[in-house]
Amino acid sequence: MAVLEINDIVTAYGKIEALKGVSLSVAEGKITCLLGPNGAGKTTLMMTISGILKPQRGAIRFNGQDLAGKPARTVVGQGVALVPENRLVFPEMTVEENLKAGAYLRRDAGKVPSDIASVYERFPRLQERREQYAGTLSGGEQQMLAISRALMARPKLLLMDEPSLGLAPLIVEDIFRIVRELNNEGTTIFLVEQNAHMALQVAHHFYLIEQGKIVFDGSPDEMEEDEVIKRAYLGSKV
Amino acid sequence: MDDHLIQVFSNVGMISFIALSAYVLLLTGEISFGQQAFFAISAYASGIATAMWGWAFWPGLVWGAAVAGAAAFLLAWPTLRMRGLYFAIGTLAFAEMVRLIFEIFRYQVEIEGELVGPDGSEGFRGIRYIFESDISATQYMLIIYLLLSAVLAFLFAIERTRLGAIFRMLGEDELLAEMQGVNRTYYKVMATVIAGVIAGIGGALYAHMNTYIEPKIFNVMLGVHSLAYGLIGGLGTAFGPLIGVGLDIGLLESTRIFTGYRMVVFGGLVALLLIFRPRGLLDEAAVHAIKSLWRRFLPAAQTQRSNNRAPD
Repeated sequence: MAVLEINDIVTAYGKIEALKGVSLSVAEGKITCLLGPNGAGKTTLMMTISGILKPQRGAIRFNGQDLAGKPARTVVGQGVALVPENRLVFPEMTVEENLKAGAYLRRDAGKVPSDIASVYERFPRLQERREQYAGTLSGGEQQMLAISRALMARPKLLLMDEPSLGLAPLIVEDIFRIVRELNNEGTTIFLVEQNAHMALQVAHHFYLIEQGKIVFDGSPDEMEEDEVIKRAYLGSKV
Repeated sequence: MDDHLIQVFSNVGMISFIALSAYVLLLTGEISFGQQAFFAISAYASGIATAMWGWAFWPGLVWGAAVAGAAAFLLAWPTLRMRGLYFAIGTLAFAEMVRLIFEIFRYQVEIEGELVGPDGSEGFRGIRYIFESDISATQYMLIIYLLLSAVLAFLFAIERTRLGAIFRMLGEDELLAEMQGVNRTYYKVMATVIAGVIAGIGGALYAHMNTYIEPKIFNVMLGVHSLAYGLIGGLGTAFGPLIGVGLDIGLLESTRIFTGYRMVVFGGLVALLLIFRPRGLLDEAAVHAIKSLWRRFLPAAQTQRSNNRAPD
């Protein structure tokens, strides 16, 4: 069953349309991956879903609720949390303050400490550094913190915008292990990636976006058999 | 305390309000060069209320601060989408506009055969409520510091609550704060209004201490100073800007012995300070260190207290 349905979304920066009618759906309990080159509109789509950018037209339905054009706080309140690309953490707030920021809209403040405790259980490094400023963490630790902060909102749907960007291969492995773990625990994940090899190991369904349009929609097997994708995204050796 | 010292301390107190006003906006990540506008608006509004409408001092002060807050509310909307340099220029333009309006603002009434009220660039004389009510300079200084303590207590309360966390989130990364569900518009307008009211309290106090105000007092240098206080003192806590004011006026007063070279020495000292403490004297790291030191001693004190209580 599709938990997120996006229908014919157009988002523009001034007169330049970055998304030219994107439609896709994210199945409940699965990992859906959106592949695409730089400038294809991946981050624009993530920003549009999370309510930071307003689409010119189109519909975004999450659990039947229309979220298109709604402010970010409504989207977060409905249970959609974003792990943004690049701007990961509040650098001059401590690790723990960052986690609390993620629980900003939660009404059950009493349960926040136990959620923080379970984050520390998953990421002992963050516990070691809980009093440290987030800006002093390494890139990988900041990514872990960004994921943890998104989890603090107890999301039903986790949007992840290129979580492997700029990280060392070993840490990328770690991040994808966590993505799979979170999914096994029941979180639906919509992942944007350029690293097709890693994405193939976790995702259940793939979309490919190029110049603001979806050009491929299929299972991992179908993707591996597609000649064009093979050449452009997986390298000729596959 | 001699009269000069009382005057210096009173000035430190009043300028602290405008420094704290700029500090509130710095917390939310905005650099305003225009907080002197709210200082000016309240100085005029409260002066008009007491000298022309016959109001008492306290209602006049509340009225002045409220008018400054309302002006801040109006300014908040057009500047909401401005960031960084553009916000700085926008607020500067607003403050200059306010100052130029006061240059031509005439509103006078005859009281006891004398014309009282703002007279454009000639200024506004006769805001004599404090002198006519026999409030001494020392008493007035206490009033200033009483109000300053109240504002400080309010800011410390904010820092400890959710609102403080929201302001800091907005200050660090507006977009990321919005992604956590923060209503950016609401809280930015709120911060602007709080800053306007704080500057307004200072402005009303200023008008009544000096009895005379004129537009050129509220020029851009007042705004530059109010920003500099936070930057020199540090933005770790609300004490930072106060340290900045104390340091600035303290240095200015103590460098009097250098006579002609006074401003050169003063400027050099400020430059040195910023070389050695680029984020101000009491920066976030210093506050952090003090807090963790405090926390290390606090558990010891608490266990001792509970030990003492045990025999009961």
